[in-house]
Amino acid sequence: MDRFITISHYRVSLTDLVRALVITFFGISSTLVTALALARNVDTIYPQLFYFPILYASYFYPRRGIYVAGACTVAYEALSYYHSFPNLLGMGYATGQGILFICVGAAVSYFTNKIRTSEARYRSIFEYSPIGIVLFDQNTFAIALANDQFGTMLGYTVEELSTTPFSHLFFNRDEQRQFYVRLGSGEEIIDFETRLATRDREPFWVNLSWSRLGGNLVSCSVIDVNTRTRAQEAAKDHAARYQQVTENSPTGIVIIQNMQIIYTNPSFSAFSGYGRDDLIGRDLSAFVYSDDLTEVKGYLKQAETSPQPSGKTEFRFLTKKAEIKRATLFSTPIAQGGKPAVLVNIVDISERERLKDQIEQDNERRRGVISTVAHELRTPLQPIMGYLNLLMQDPKGFGLTEETKQILDRCLQSVDRERQIINQMLEFSVLDSGKTDLDYSTFSMNTLVKDIIDTGGYAMKADITIEIPPDLVFEADQNKIYVVINSMLSNAVNYSKPPRRIKIMYHSSSSDTHHRLAIRDNGVGITGAQLDAIFEPFQLADSEKLNRKYNRIGLSLSIAKKYIQMHGGYISVDSTVSVGSTFTIHIPKIRPKGA
Amino acid sequence: MAQRIMVVEDDQPILELMEILLRRLGYEPVLIMNGMEALKEVKKDPPDLILLDIMMTPINGWEMLEKLRGEYGQKALPVLLFTAAPMAQKEMEKLNDPALGILQKPVSFADLRTALEKFLKP
Repeated sequence: MDRFITISHYRVSLTDLVRALVITFFGISSTLVTALALARNVDTIYPQLFYFPILYASYFYPRRGIYVAGACTVAYEALSYYHSFPNLLGMGYATGQGILFICVGAAVSYFTNKIRTSEARYRSIFEYSPIGIVLFDQNTFAIALANDQFGTMLGYTVEELSTTPFSHLFFNRDEQRQFYVRLGSGEEIIDFETRLATRDREPFWVNLSWSRLGGNLVSCSVIDVNTRTRAQEAAKDHAARYQQVTENSPTGIVIIQNMQIIYTNPSFSAFSGYGRDDLIGRDLSAFVYSDDLTEVKGYLKQAETSPQPSGKTEFRFLTKKAEIKRATLFSTPIAQGGKPAVLVNIVDISERERLKDQIEQDNERRRGVISTVAHELRTPLQPIMGYLNLLMQDPKGFGLTEETKQILDRCLQSVDRERQIINQMLEFSVLDSGKTDLDYSTFSMNTLVKDIIDTGGYAMKADITIEIPPDLVFEADQNKIYVVINSMLSNAVNYSKPPRRIKIMYHSSSSDTHHRLAIRDNGVGITGAQLDAIFEPFQLADSEKLNRKYNRIGLSLSIAKKYIQMHGGYISVDSTVSVGSTFTIHIPKIRPKGA
Repeated sequence: MAQRIMVVEDDQPILELMEILLRRLGYEPVLIMNGMEALKEVKKDPPDLILLDIMMTPINGWEMLEKLRGEYGQKALPVLLFTAAPMAQKEMEKLNDPALGILQKPVSFADLRTALEKFLKP
């Protein structure tokens, strides 16, 4: 190491000081010898003496060496000119010598400088780079020499390393074996990435390169790639996971930048019918149905700039087979290569839409079938009913006995029942299609109930009590409420034996939100298990539950239930077997919105 | 002279029935099995009322009604749609035609009589 001294604020190394003195000494001596030689006319090699300071200075201090050469030249020229003036030949010779001084000084400076720079470069590599260097014996693996950097990497001191075989430093047997294989190949190895073990037996990624020196020694450089490799591994892991998620996603995923597709997953390829290569780099607008293009562009533009994931929107896509598919888009803004991009999830809904359409079509066809069937069933009823009516109209004229008349009357009743069932079937199918609207009006409940009783002739079949406030007014679809009450009275009469007692009661306070109209009978009653089934359309009801004797209810209660539901209300039933049933209609007093 | 009631109906059993019922009610039935012929007959000798089936070929009841009211200028001629077709009631209401009524098949003798009396001019 150099020692330093300070001379009037300048910190000078001793070496430099000594060299400066040597140069000064040579310079002065050369000048004096030259002066003396010229004075005495001694024609010897005196100018060559100046090469001592010039070479010395140029070698150690390439830049300043030129100044020294300059100074020497000036001194030599001054002396020569003084003595040879006006001898032109002598002056010319002196000038040539001076130029030579400077040229030699410059040349030496130049080459020295070049050597110094490259040397400095190499030195800095070894001194400051994190390269560890280790020399080991290729047979015993004993470490002959290791530098500080190598020790620091693994957490060992240089002394500790000198007692450890190099082969023991590998993290596991696998890596050790790979090392043996490489070493055994006898070649120079460059960039062998492997893991060594630290003192704490932690894995440490290194890049090894080695070459054989003389004897059995191997010189191995060890570059610390631990941080880099760890980061790469983590990134790879992260990327792999991300890739796995997107590649296997059942929804289409594309990344779009400047309206161009820069990534697509297999689901989107399958959806669009295009291969990945066909899609990447292409403008998305090539795949969007032209009518939706402006909207899609606007949506993606917005998605790119908005900091939040954008909500869904529906578009039509053109596939490779020129099919139009409907899809829902969800997008998230992301940065791709530092530029804004949009990650778009594309969910194919065309299948769903198609199924929806199919179901709608099927329902429509089913209703069409029901409608035709009803027509076909009704038409033959007309002659039966008409002829029976005709006979009953004039029993005497047709010579009917009382017994025949009774039989024909029963036939007529059956025909009428069949007509009703067909009508209900049709009504239910229309209700099912949701094409029925309510026709709201305001009417007196008392008047309506009396009208139903009169028309249905119920007063003759049962003892009916009505407890309805005379001024009670409903706001509802009068025809539908008529049908509901009528079917309840009809059931009350049909499922009871004389003496029949039916009570129609209104119970709702002024603070109550619903009208509540109850119809109570003393009929057969309904068991708990059958309660739900009686409101089911007959094709849906469980025949086990729906006892044979309730079959005649047909669809009337299903229709009643639908009608009341359309009003925003409901029907409740309270029943005891062999005692009777109470059906209560609950309808909101205020017409619900949309009803 | 008995009022003439035209029955346009492609179902033979119903035509036969209507002939008997109408005669019994004291009307003169005119029985026709398709709409085009019915229109010709109307032009020749208009009846007092038409009982019109809907589901028929080559023209259905609605088409015949349209021609009757339009080309044939029979705006006031009473027509009773006589049909087993569902939804006919709603379709009819849309037309808002005062001389148009409906009888849903199967119709009872009593209902037939009431409807005829209501729609026929005295």
